[in-house]
Amino acid sequence: MAKLVKHDEGEVFDIELEENILKANEDAAAKNRDLLRKHGVKAIDIMGSIGSGKTSLIELIVQKLKGKYRIAVFNGDLTTTIDADRVARHGVEVVQINTGKECHLDANLIAKALDGTNLDKLDLIIIENVGNLICPGEFRLGADERLVVISVTEGPYMVLKHPFIFMEADVVVINKIDLSQAMGVEFEKLRNDVNKVNAKARVVGTSCRTGTGISEVVEALQIDNLRRQ
Amino acid sequence: MHELSMANSIIETVLNEANKRNAKSVLEVNLVIGKFAMLGTEQLRYCYRLLVKGTPLEKSKLRIEGEEGRVRCEACNFEGPIHLEQEPEYHIMYPTLQCPKCGGTVEMVAGRNCFIRSVKLRA
Repeated sequence: MAKLVKHDEGEVFDIELEENILKANEDAAAKNRDLLRKHGVKAIDIMGSIGSGKTSLIELIVQKLKGKYRIAVFNGDLTTTIDADRVARHGVEVVQINTGKECHLDANLIAKALDGTNLDKLDLIIIENVGNLICPGEFRLGADERLVVISVTEGPYMVLKHPFIFMEADVVVINKIDLSQAMGVEFEKLRNDVNKVNAKARVVGTSCRTGTGISEVVEALQIDNLRRQ
Repeated sequence: MHELSMANSIIETVLNEANKRNAKSVLEVNLVIGKFAMLGTEQLRYCYRLLVKGTPLEKSKLRIEGEEGRVRCEACNFEGPIHLEQEPEYHIMYPTLQCPKCGGTVEMVAGRNCFIRSVKLRA
Protein backbone atom coordinates (compact mmCIF):
# COMPACT_ATOMS: atom_id res chain seq x y z
CA MET A 1 0.00 0.00 0.00
CA ALA A 2 1.27 3.47 -0.88
CA LYS A 3 2.59 5.48 1.97
CA LEU A 4 0.33 8.41 2.75
CA VAL A 5 1.78 11.59 4.14
CA LYS A 6 -0.67 14.11 5.43
CA HIS A 7 -0.89 17.07 7.72
CA ASP A 8 -1.67 16.42 11.36
CA GLU A 9 -4.75 17.94 12.87
CA GLY A 10 -4.03 21.58 13.70
CA GLU A 11 -0.75 21.71 11.78
CA VAL A 12 -0.02 24.99 10.05
CA PHE A 13 1.41 24.99 6.54
CA ASP A 14 2.28 27.53 3.86
CA ILE A 15 1.25 27.13 0.25
CA GLU A 16 2.89 29.10 -2.58
CA LEU A 17 0.06 29.96 -4.92
CA GLU A 18 1.17 32.67 -7.38
CA GLU A 19 -2.45 32.70 -8.52
CA ASN A 20 -3.07 35.71 -10.74
CA ILE A 21 -6.54 37.12 -10.12
CA LEU A 22 -6.57 39.31 -13.21
CA LYS A 23 -5.17 36.60 -15.45
CA ALA A 24 -8.55 34.92 -15.93
CA ASN A 25 -9.71 38.07 -17.73
CA GLU A 26 -6.52 38.35 -19.80
CA ASP A 27 -6.97 34.74 -20.93
CA ALA A 28 -10.61 35.30 -21.85
CA ALA A 29 -9.61 38.46 -23.75
CA ALA A 30 -6.99 36.54 -25.72
CA LYS A 31 -9.63 33.94 -26.63
CA ASN A 32 -12.03 36.66 -27.82
CA ARG A 33 -9.27 38.18 -29.92
CA ASP A 34 -8.43 34.83 -31.54
CA LEU A 35 -12.09 34.17 -32.28
CA LEU A 36 -12.55 37.62 -33.86
CA ARG A 37 -9.37 37.25 -35.94
CA LYS A 38 -10.48 33.82 -37.16
CA HIS A 39 -13.68 35.34 -38.49
CA GLY A 40 -11.94 38.45 -39.83
CA VAL A 41 -13.92 40.78 -37.56
CA LYS A 42 -12.33 43.94 -36.19
CA ALA A 43 -13.42 45.05 -32.71
CA ILE A 44 -13.18 48.45 -31.04
CA ASP A 45 -13.56 49.05 -27.29
CA ILE A 46 -15.02 52.51 -26.62
CA MET A 47 -14.38 53.65 -23.05
CA GLY A 48 -14.96 57.06 -21.52
CA SER A 49 -16.57 59.15 -18.86
CA ILE A 50 -20.30 59.29 -18.21
CA GLY A 51 -22.01 61.70 -20.58
CA SER A 52 -18.87 62.35 -22.62
CA GLY A 53 -20.62 61.22 -25.82
CA LYS A 54 -19.69 57.56 -26.27
CA THR A 55 -23.08 56.61 -27.69
CA SER A 56 -23.27 59.70 -29.91
CA LEU A 57 -19.82 58.94 -31.29
CA ILE A 58 -20.84 55.35 -32.01
CA GLU A 59 -24.01 56.54 -33.75
CA LEU A 60 -21.96 58.78 -36.03
CA ILE A 61 -19.38 56.07 -36.79
CA VAL A 62 -22.22 53.65 -37.58
CA GLN A 63 -23.93 56.18 -39.85
CA LYS A 64 -20.69 56.75 -41.71
CA LEU A 65 -19.74 53.12 -42.18
CA LYS A 66 -22.97 51.12 -42.26
CA GLY A 67 -23.25 51.26 -46.06
CA LYS A 68 -19.72 49.93 -46.37
CA TYR A 69 -19.45 47.28 -43.66
CA ARG A 70 -21.60 44.87 -41.68
CA ILE A 71 -21.54 46.28 -38.16
CA ALA A 72 -22.74 45.12 -34.73
CA VAL A 73 -22.70 47.24 -31.58
CA PHE A 74 -22.46 45.86 -28.04
CA ASN A 75 -23.74 48.37 -25.48
CA GLY A 76 -22.55 47.99 -21.93
CA ASP A 77 -24.54 49.65 -19.14
CA LEU A 78 -25.55 48.79 -15.61
CA THR A 79 -29.20 48.66 -16.62
CA THR A 80 -31.76 49.72 -19.29
CA THR A 81 -31.61 49.42 -23.08
CA ILE A 82 -31.65 53.18 -23.71
CA ASP A 83 -28.30 53.23 -25.52
CA ALA A 84 -29.00 50.04 -27.44
CA ASP A 85 -32.34 51.47 -28.64
CA ARG A 86 -30.59 54.64 -29.81
CA VAL A 87 -28.05 52.71 -31.85
CA ALA A 88 -30.62 50.20 -33.16
CA ARG A 89 -32.42 53.04 -34.96
CA HIS A 90 -29.53 53.05 -37.42
CA GLY A 91 -30.43 49.54 -38.58
CA VAL A 92 -27.42 47.62 -37.28
CA GLU A 93 -27.36 44.60 -34.99
CA VAL A 94 -27.26 45.67 -31.33
CA VAL A 95 -26.63 43.63 -28.21
CA GLN A 96 -27.26 45.24 -24.84
CA ILE A 97 -24.99 43.94 -22.09
CA ASN A 98 -26.28 44.83 -18.64
CA THR A 99 -23.62 44.44 -15.99
CA GLY A 100 -26.00 44.86 -13.03
CA LYS A 101 -23.70 46.50 -10.52
CA GLU A 102 -20.32 46.08 -12.14
CA CYS A 103 -18.49 49.20 -13.17
CA HIS A 104 -16.92 47.78 -16.34
CA LEU A 105 -17.34 45.20 -19.08
CA ASP A 106 -15.09 42.18 -18.89
CA ALA A 107 -13.86 39.62 -21.40
CA ASN A 108 -16.26 36.97 -20.12
CA LEU A 109 -19.32 39.16 -20.82
CA ILE A 110 -17.97 39.87 -24.32
CA ALA A 111 -17.42 36.14 -24.88
CA LYS A 112 -21.09 35.57 -24.03
CA ALA A 113 -22.21 38.31 -26.39
CA LEU A 114 -19.96 36.94 -29.16
CA ASP A 115 -21.44 33.51 -28.61
CA GLY A 116 -24.87 34.77 -29.63
CA THR A 117 -23.56 36.65 -32.68
CA ASN A 118 -23.06 35.32 -36.20
CA LEU A 119 -19.48 36.48 -36.75
CA ASP A 120 -19.40 35.31 -40.35
CA LYS A 121 -21.91 38.01 -41.15
CA LEU A 122 -19.89 40.85 -39.61
CA ASP A 123 -16.89 43.03 -40.42
CA LEU A 124 -16.82 45.29 -37.38
CA ILE A 125 -17.97 45.18 -33.76
CA ILE A 126 -18.08 48.39 -31.75
CA ILE A 127 -18.23 47.81 -27.99
CA GLU A 128 -19.47 50.61 -25.75
CA ASN A 129 -18.01 50.12 -22.29
CA VAL A 130 -19.66 51.30 -19.07
CA GLY A 131 -19.19 55.04 -18.48
CA ASN A 132 -16.21 55.19 -16.13
CA LEU A 133 -12.63 56.47 -16.44
CA ILE A 134 -11.18 54.00 -13.94
CA CYS A 135 -12.14 50.34 -14.03
CA PRO A 136 -12.62 49.56 -17.75
CA GLY A 137 -8.92 50.28 -18.30
CA GLU A 138 -8.02 47.27 -16.21
CA PHE A 139 -10.16 44.75 -18.07
CA ARG A 140 -9.16 44.21 -21.68
CA LEU A 141 -11.89 42.68 -23.81
CA GLY A 142 -9.93 41.34 -26.76
CA ALA A 143 -10.62 44.34 -29.02
CA ASP A 144 -8.08 45.49 -31.62
CA GLU A 145 -8.24 49.13 -30.65
CA ARG A 146 -9.15 50.87 -27.40
CA LEU A 147 -10.59 54.36 -27.60
CA VAL A 148 -11.21 56.73 -24.68
CA VAL A 149 -13.75 59.58 -24.99
CA ILE A 150 -13.78 62.65 -22.76
CA SER A 151 -15.37 66.03 -23.39
CA VAL A 152 -14.48 69.64 -22.67
CA THR A 153 -17.58 70.00 -20.48
CA GLU A 154 -15.93 67.79 -17.85
CA GLY A 155 -13.32 70.46 -17.21
CA PRO A 156 -9.57 70.66 -17.84
CA TYR A 157 -8.29 67.96 -15.46
CA MET A 158 -9.82 64.73 -16.80
CA VAL A 159 -6.62 63.34 -18.32
CA LEU A 160 -4.20 64.05 -15.50
CA LYS A 161 -6.66 62.83 -12.88
CA HIS A 162 -7.16 59.49 -14.64
CA PRO A 163 -3.80 58.77 -16.29
CA PHE A 164 -4.12 54.97 -16.20
CA ILE A 165 -6.97 54.63 -18.66
CA PHE A 166 -5.19 56.98 -21.09
CA MET A 167 -2.12 54.75 -20.90
CA GLU A 168 -4.32 51.97 -22.26
CA ALA A 169 -5.70 54.00 -25.14
CA ASP A 170 -4.79 53.73 -28.82
CA VAL A 171 -7.06 56.66 -29.70
CA VAL A 172 -8.36 59.46 -27.47
CA VAL A 173 -11.38 61.52 -28.53
CA ILE A 174 -11.98 64.93 -26.98
CA ASN A 175 -15.63 65.61 -27.68
CA LYS A 176 -17.91 68.68 -27.59
CA ILE A 177 -15.16 70.97 -28.88
CA ASP A 178 -17.95 73.28 -30.14
CA LEU A 179 -18.47 74.13 -26.44
CA SER A 180 -14.80 74.71 -25.75
CA GLN A 181 -15.04 78.49 -25.59
CA ALA A 182 -18.14 78.52 -23.41
CA MET A 183 -16.48 76.09 -21.01
CA GLY A 184 -13.13 77.88 -21.01
CA VAL A 185 -11.45 74.52 -21.62
CA GLU A 186 -8.94 74.25 -24.44
CA PHE A 187 -8.66 71.23 -26.68
CA GLU A 188 -4.91 71.84 -27.00
CA LYS A 189 -4.40 71.63 -23.24
CA LEU A 190 -6.18 68.27 -23.04
CA ARG A 191 -4.28 67.00 -26.08
CA ASN A 192 -0.96 67.95 -24.50
CA ASP A 193 -1.95 66.13 -21.32
CA VAL A 194 -2.69 62.95 -23.29
CA ASN A 195 0.61 63.31 -25.15
CA LYS A 196 2.48 63.58 -21.89
CA VAL A 197 0.85 60.47 -20.42
CA ASN A 198 0.86 58.35 -23.58
CA ALA A 199 2.59 59.76 -26.64
CA LYS A 200 1.52 56.78 -28.75
CA ALA A 201 -2.21 57.54 -28.49
CA ARG A 202 -3.70 59.47 -31.38
CA VAL A 203 -5.81 62.42 -30.16
CA VAL A 204 -8.81 63.69 -32.12
CA GLY A 205 -11.10 66.62 -31.32
CA THR A 206 -14.73 66.05 -32.24
CA SER A 207 -18.17 67.52 -31.97
CA CYS A 208 -20.81 64.86 -32.28
CA ARG A 209 -23.36 67.62 -32.64
CA THR A 210 -21.81 69.08 -35.79
CA GLY A 211 -20.01 65.96 -37.02
CA THR A 212 -16.56 67.59 -36.81
CA GLY A 213 -13.68 65.13 -36.54
CA ILE A 214 -15.63 61.91 -37.16
CA SER A 215 -13.69 61.05 -40.34
CA GLU A 216 -10.48 61.53 -38.43
CA VAL A 217 -11.67 59.15 -35.68
CA VAL A 218 -12.52 56.50 -38.27
CA GLU A 219 -9.09 56.93 -39.81
CA ALA A 220 -7.33 56.80 -36.41
CA LEU A 221 -9.14 53.55 -35.58
CA GLN A 222 -8.03 52.15 -38.94
CA ILE A 223 -11.58 51.16 -39.82
CA ASP A 224 -11.86 53.27 -42.94
CA ASN A 225 -10.47 50.47 -45.05
CA LEU A 226 -11.39 47.10 -43.61
CA ARG A 227 -10.60 44.02 -45.57
CA ARG A 228 -13.89 42.39 -46.57
CA GLN A 229 -13.95 38.62 -46.20
CA MET B 1 -14.49 50.31 -7.87
CA HIS B 2 -14.44 46.60 -8.56
CA GLU B 3 -12.85 45.71 -5.22
CA LEU B 4 -15.89 43.71 -4.13
CA SER B 5 -15.73 41.34 -7.08
CA MET B 6 -11.94 41.11 -6.79
CA ALA B 7 -12.22 40.29 -3.08
CA ASN B 8 -14.77 37.65 -4.01
CA SER B 9 -12.42 36.04 -6.58
CA ILE B 10 -9.57 36.07 -4.07
CA ILE B 11 -11.69 34.38 -1.40
CA GLU B 12 -13.01 31.79 -3.87
CA THR B 13 -9.49 30.92 -5.02
CA VAL B 14 -8.24 30.55 -1.45
CA LEU B 15 -11.28 28.49 -0.42
CA ASN B 16 -10.70 26.12 -3.34
CA GLU B 17 -7.09 25.69 -2.29
CA ALA B 18 -8.07 25.12 1.35
CA ASN B 19 -10.71 22.54 0.38
CA LYS B 20 -8.27 20.73 -1.90
CA ARG B 21 -5.86 20.36 1.00
CA ASN B 22 -8.51 19.59 3.63
CA ALA B 23 -7.54 22.64 5.65
CA LYS B 24 -9.93 23.66 8.43
CA SER B 25 -9.06 27.31 8.42
CA VAL B 26 -7.03 29.93 6.61
CA LEU B 27 -4.63 31.90 8.79
CA GLU B 28 -3.04 34.21 6.29
CA VAL B 29 -3.50 35.39 2.71
CA ASN B 30 -0.55 37.15 1.07
CA LEU B 31 -1.50 39.34 -1.85
CA VAL B 32 0.60 41.31 -4.29
CA ILE B 33 -1.11 44.29 -5.88
CA GLY B 34 0.52 46.47 -8.50
CA LYS B 35 0.67 50.13 -7.63
CA PHE B 36 -0.78 50.79 -11.08
CA ALA B 37 -3.64 48.30 -10.84
CA MET B 38 -7.01 50.00 -10.45
CA LEU B 39 -7.51 48.60 -6.99
CA GLY B 40 -7.65 50.49 -3.73
CA THR B 41 -6.17 48.44 -0.91
CA GLU B 42 -8.35 50.07 1.75
CA GLN B 43 -11.54 49.22 -0.14
CA LEU B 44 -10.23 45.75 -0.88
CA ARG B 45 -9.56 45.09 2.82
CA TYR B 46 -13.01 46.37 3.69
CA CYS B 47 -14.73 44.13 1.14
CA TYR B 48 -12.59 41.17 2.19
CA ARG B 49 -13.68 41.57 5.82
CA LEU B 50 -17.34 41.70 4.79
CA LEU B 51 -17.10 38.59 2.64
CA VAL B 52 -15.07 36.28 4.89
CA LYS B 53 -17.70 36.23 7.62
CA GLY B 54 -18.84 32.70 8.30
CA THR B 55 -16.13 31.13 6.09
CA PRO B 56 -12.87 29.36 7.02
CA LEU B 57 -11.18 32.65 6.15
CA GLU B 58 -13.00 34.59 8.85
CA LYS B 59 -9.99 35.00 11.14
CA SER B 60 -7.40 35.20 8.39
CA LYS B 61 -4.86 37.98 8.18
CA LEU B 62 -4.79 39.76 4.83
CA ARG B 63 -1.32 41.00 3.96
CA ILE B 64 -0.94 43.21 0.90
CA GLU B 65 2.39 43.92 -0.72
CA GLY B 66 2.60 46.67 -3.36
CA GLU B 67 4.31 45.88 -6.65
CA GLU B 68 6.29 48.78 -8.11
CA GLY B 69 5.64 49.88 -11.68
CA ARG B 70 8.35 48.94 -14.18
CA VAL B 71 8.66 49.86 -17.81
CA ARG B 72 10.76 48.75 -20.76
CA CYS B 73 11.70 50.81 -23.80
CA GLU B 74 11.96 48.93 -27.08
CA ALA B 75 13.91 51.74 -28.70
CA CYS B 76 16.80 52.08 -26.23
CA ASN B 77 16.37 48.95 -24.04
CA PHE B 78 15.91 51.02 -20.90
CA GLU B 79 14.28 49.08 -18.11
CA GLY B 80 13.40 50.68 -14.80
CA PRO B 81 10.78 52.42 -12.73
CA ILE B 82 7.92 54.24 -14.38
CA HIS B 83 8.56 57.93 -14.93
CA LEU B 84 6.45 60.33 -12.85
CA GLU B 85 5.79 63.80 -14.18
CA GLN B 86 5.12 66.80 -11.94
CA GLU B 87 2.39 69.30 -12.67
CA PRO B 88 3.10 72.20 -10.31
CA GLU B 89 0.01 74.11 -11.47
CA TYR B 90 -2.35 71.49 -10.01
CA HIS B 91 0.05 70.05 -7.41
CA ILE B 92 -0.20 66.56 -8.81
CA MET B 93 2.15 63.88 -10.02
CA TYR B 94 1.11 61.51 -12.75
CA PRO B 95 2.76 58.52 -14.42
CA THR B 96 3.75 58.71 -18.07
CA LEU B 97 4.71 56.15 -20.69
CA GLN B 98 7.64 58.34 -21.71
CA CYS B 99 11.08 56.75 -21.60
CA PRO B 100 13.20 58.69 -19.07
CA LYS B 101 16.30 57.87 -21.14
CA CYS B 102 15.43 58.46 -24.79
CA GLY B 103 11.97 60.07 -24.62
CA GLY B 104 10.37 57.26 -26.63
CA THR B 105 7.26 55.35 -25.57
CA VAL B 106 7.69 52.52 -23.09
CA GLU B 107 5.66 49.41 -22.33
CA MET B 108 4.64 48.57 -18.78
CA VAL B 109 6.14 45.27 -17.67
CA ALA B 110 5.13 45.27 -13.99
CA GLY B 111 2.89 47.15 -11.62
CA ARG B 112 -0.52 46.10 -12.90
CA ASN B 113 -0.71 42.66 -11.36
CA CYS B 114 -2.97 41.34 -8.68
CA PHE B 115 -2.02 37.92 -7.45
CA ILE B 116 -2.15 35.69 -4.40
CA ARG B 117 1.45 34.93 -3.57
CA SER B 118 0.81 32.41 -0.80
CA VAL B 119 -1.60 31.29 1.89
CA LYS B 120 -1.08 29.88 5.35
CA LEU B 121 -3.54 27.12 6.22
CA ARG B 122 -4.34 25.12 9.33
CA ALA B 123 -5.17 21.44 8.91
